[in-house]
Amino acid sequence: MSSVAISEPVIDELRAIVGPTYVLTSKTARYNRTRVPAPFPVHRWSEFLPDIVVLPETTEQVSEVVKLANRLKIPVVPRAGGTGLADGAVPLRGGILVDIKRMDKILEIDLDNRTVTLQPGINMLKLNEEILKYGVFYPDDPASYPCSLVGGRIGTSGFSLIAGRYGHTRDLVISMQVVLPTGEIIEVGDGGGRKIRKSSTGFHLKHLFMGHQGTLGICTEATLELVPRPEAEFAAFFGYKDFESAYRSTGALTKSGLATLASVVLFDERKIQYLRRDDEAYIPQPRNLKSVIAVSMYGAVDEVKPAGRRLMQIAKDTGGKYLGDEVSQGDWASRHDRYATPLHGRLLDRRVVPMCWHCEDASINYSNIPNVMREWHEIADRYIKKYGIFDDWGCFFYTNAAYKPWGDYLSEIDIGIWEQKLNDKTWKAWVNCKREITEVTLKYNGSITACHGSTREGDAEYVPEEMGGGFEVMKRIKRVLDPNNIMNPGKNMLDNAYEED
Amino acid sequence: MFGFQLKGQRPPKPRRVKEGVVMRFDHVYEIDPDRMSIIKQQEMPVWDTQRIIANRWEHLSWMHNHFADSVISGEELEKEIEESKKKIRTTKKSTSRRKKR
Amino acid sequence: MSDDLQQKFVKKWLDNAYGCFSSGHKFCREVCPVMQVTRNENHSPTAFHANIVAMNNNGLTVADVAEDYVNCTLCGACELRCPNTLFTGDFYRNRTETVKVVKAMRALSVKSGVEQPNWKRWVEATIDKKSEPVLDVPIDQDRVADWAKELDLPIGGETILFCDCEAAFYRTSVPKATAMVLKRAGFKFGLMKEQWCCGGPAAEMGYVEQAREFAEHNLSDWRAVGAKRIITLDPHDYITFTEDYPAYFKNGYDMEIVHITELVAELIKEKKLRLKKPVKRVVTYHDPCRLNKRKGIYESPREILRSIPGLTFKDVDHVTQWSYCSGAGGGFAVERPQIAEEISRRRMSRAAELDVDILVSACVWSERPLTARGKELDSKIEVRDLMELVAEAAGLDYGGVKT
Repeated sequence: MSSVAISEPVIDELRAIVGPTYVLTSKTARYNRTRVPAPFPVHRWSEFLPDIVVLPETTEQVSEVVKLANRLKIPVVPRAGGTGLADGAVPLRGGILVDIKRMDKILEIDLDNRTVTLQPGINMLKLNEEILKYGVFYPDDPASYPCSLVGGRIGTSGFSLIAGRYGHTRDLVISMQVVLPTGEIIEVGDGGGRKIRKSSTGFHLKHLFMGHQGTLGICTEATLELVPRPEAEFAAFFGYKDFESAYRSTGALTKSGLATLASVVLFDERKIQYLRRDDEAYIPQPRNLKSVIAVSMYGAVDEVKPAGRRLMQIAKDTGGKYLGDEVSQGDWASRHDRYATPLHGRLLDRRVVPMCWHCEDASINYSNIPNVMREWHEIADRYIKKYGIFDDWGCFFYTNAAYKPWGDYLSEIDIGIWEQKLNDKTWKAWVNCKREITEVTLKYNGSITACHGSTREGDAEYVPEEMGGGFEVMKRIKRVLDPNNIMNPGKNMLDNAYEED
Repeated sequence: MFGFQLKGQRPPKPRRVKEGVVMRFDHVYEIDPDRMSIIKQQEMPVWDTQRIIANRWEHLSWMHNHFADSVISGEELEKEIEESKKKIRTTKKSTSRRKKR
Repeated sequence: MSDDLQQKFVKKWLDNAYGCFSSGHKFCREVCPVMQVTRNENHSPTAFHANIVAMNNNGLTVADVAEDYVNCTLCGACELRCPNTLFTGDFYRNRTETVKVVKAMRALSVKSGVEQPNWKRWVEATIDKKSEPVLDVPIDQDRVADWAKELDLPIGGETILFCDCEAAFYRTSVPKATAMVLKRAGFKFGLMKEQWCCGGPAAEMGYVEQAREFAEHNLSDWRAVGAKRIITLDPHDYITFTEDYPAYFKNGYDMEIVHITELVAELIKEKKLRLKKPVKRVVTYHDPCRLNKRKGIYESPREILRSIPGLTFKDVDHVTQWSYCSGAGGGFAVERPQIAEEISRRRMSRAAELDVDILVSACVWSERPLTARGKELDSKIEVRDLMELVAEAAGLDYGGVKT
């Protein structure tokens, strides 16, 4: 709940800044800017409400709102699409919620230098529809491709499904404009220059403002990379007799060195069992299909065709059976908007109940995948048996590094949670389950989160442990940039930054 | 004619095809209705089932077009690999025959 | 009373609401025509479901939420685009229902005494005149079939052509062209004794009982003249007759409902209707939301356009058009005219990008706002109904576009 009540004179000031229509105080305005798709203690919904919502349209408006908040020490929570799978956009202390969706204009398309400069409230699919006519493409492709917004991608430092070829959000954002917690407007890139990709001037500040979850300011403009629109796409799904062989094949495919390789995704045996519940691509598969790999390639036809042949051969040589064009093309196309649907949820007696989706997103090295996977499933199974409101939806392992699709993997165990049954006891059980999962990640020298951000309960507590000495630096930076702890307070354990004085 | 008629909107009875899966229309899987005792199934008219399936495939094909100008078929690549292997085999054979001669 | 109604409503829709709330992915947002303009999350289909969870858990009342539900054209894009429909709706026989939820919430609002002033006036005027108070023209039940004056159409018969209010009183060239086309094809049909509004708009604005009176009148008129089949020329009527009427009349509802584009495409295929006169224009097609998104009818209009000689047809596929709308549906323009205007403006600017001189629609309600926005464009794009174009290609003189 809010520690600071927003008084009528403050509301008037906000109205003067963004216009009266764009200051919202109604219950529905506040309730609908609270949760994100991540598991949410719905029984405690009212604890997470912002006090007031503003919908700015310009950088200057954002800056004025933040200056006001800083003067009066009112928390500020930026929110873009609200489609995150961790809690970056969930207000923990009330305050002013800055909803940037109205900031959705394309400001400049520079075809000579291959950039687009825009406001961060725009969605990637909509952007690509606009720029298609120029033969260019913005290849940031999360599972929320049709609904997440550029601002949220920057705030979380998101993961792109085709980053093996094109890079992740951090690689695709060349520079940006940021409103700092004290209201100053700055531009950050590798060095200076809005359209410069590589610089050694000063510090690399762009990376500091990438994935900070709104704790260091609000991005108000971004200059993005444009790539040639791909001539060809090749997606292939291969079936394996067990996880072991699929795992080995994954290693071979990712290390192939083929430059057009955009992604390799490994499905474990529990994932295949889960997909057989309701997915028309997997229901008819023979019982001896236990594990799957999906690969995708993008580029010019002259590159993708021969590289595709090579991949087919590698998969075959390592025990993979091609599942056919219908499965490959159909399933791949559905990966660009692949958030879980609640009816995947099953009770132990197999009856269907609507469950929300926890999507673990740890980064794990290749050699540790089998152990991590086994230990995660053991944890999930214990909680499923004990509480009856959880469900194990299996694991995915996505190649994690940009341009070099080997070495570490976005490792995902998907867990269903029957939200309608959440209360203090079951929510605590969930958080404990999540903590055990996180501890396994750290035990195997992984990172808690590859893309969602360390803002969930069960993740956040472990930020100091994962960051080690770096956490002290984080705290100092936070205190310097945000002296009054107004920017998204309570996230990433950064409240600690203010406890020592 | 071919218009909407309420009496034609009730789906045929399901037949079980796998554990937990039934079929009312060819190639269209549905969950075993016994599993839907907590969350209830809707009265879904035939036209709606057909609409969803048709639009799903249209949407998926739209996504391919959205991401690239063309889609390369794995099945064709497989054929090409086989053919080139045959060619190599034939070339090898003819080379060895020539050698013998 | 109001509390009981609210509880009943929440009980009915809570599981459906959790289907959305527990996903939280909001794939609906960027296809929603209202959201695209306002960018206000209160107007998102996701919020329409989340509010129901908040009514259940957090004490929100119908008075807290009612106004947000005005912001919807009932186009159906959200519920089709929702993965819970598109990817798993058929498997579970359980898909996201948002259009029904919005209508039910509007109905609950009316019953709870939270009314929207313009809707109230609109429905009262419809009850008074038996046809909708379509703007800028006098409404008089004696003139409901004036458009057919010179056509010598019979009353009654097995097949009835149902002419929408906007078409009957405003864009009269649409029903006239339609009737002439059907006659040319030798297709036998008649008119009702007295056509009333289909009742759909009243139901969409939350006035269900009033809507039902219209339905009962129309059904008994159809029965009285021996009708077995109704041809609709307006997609909204098609929805009302295939969704609302079956819900009102249950299994006793035995009418066959055919939409005009399906019928005309068939007549062309069977060579009963020959389109020989070249129409040398460059056109694109506007997928009416209710045909495309809500009913999956997107092929027959395109088949018709492709069979018109001389026409250059620059098509935008129907999936892209999930996020297009004219803004004219669901009573939205009556309560929120400015946002509706911006929606139609954006639709016309999409057409302008294609360098066309006609936007063809198959929804008479979309044609008035789109025409107005087309006139604002530098390129002056004309808006024509598909049946007007078909009549022209069939060499019929329907008198040109008349409003």
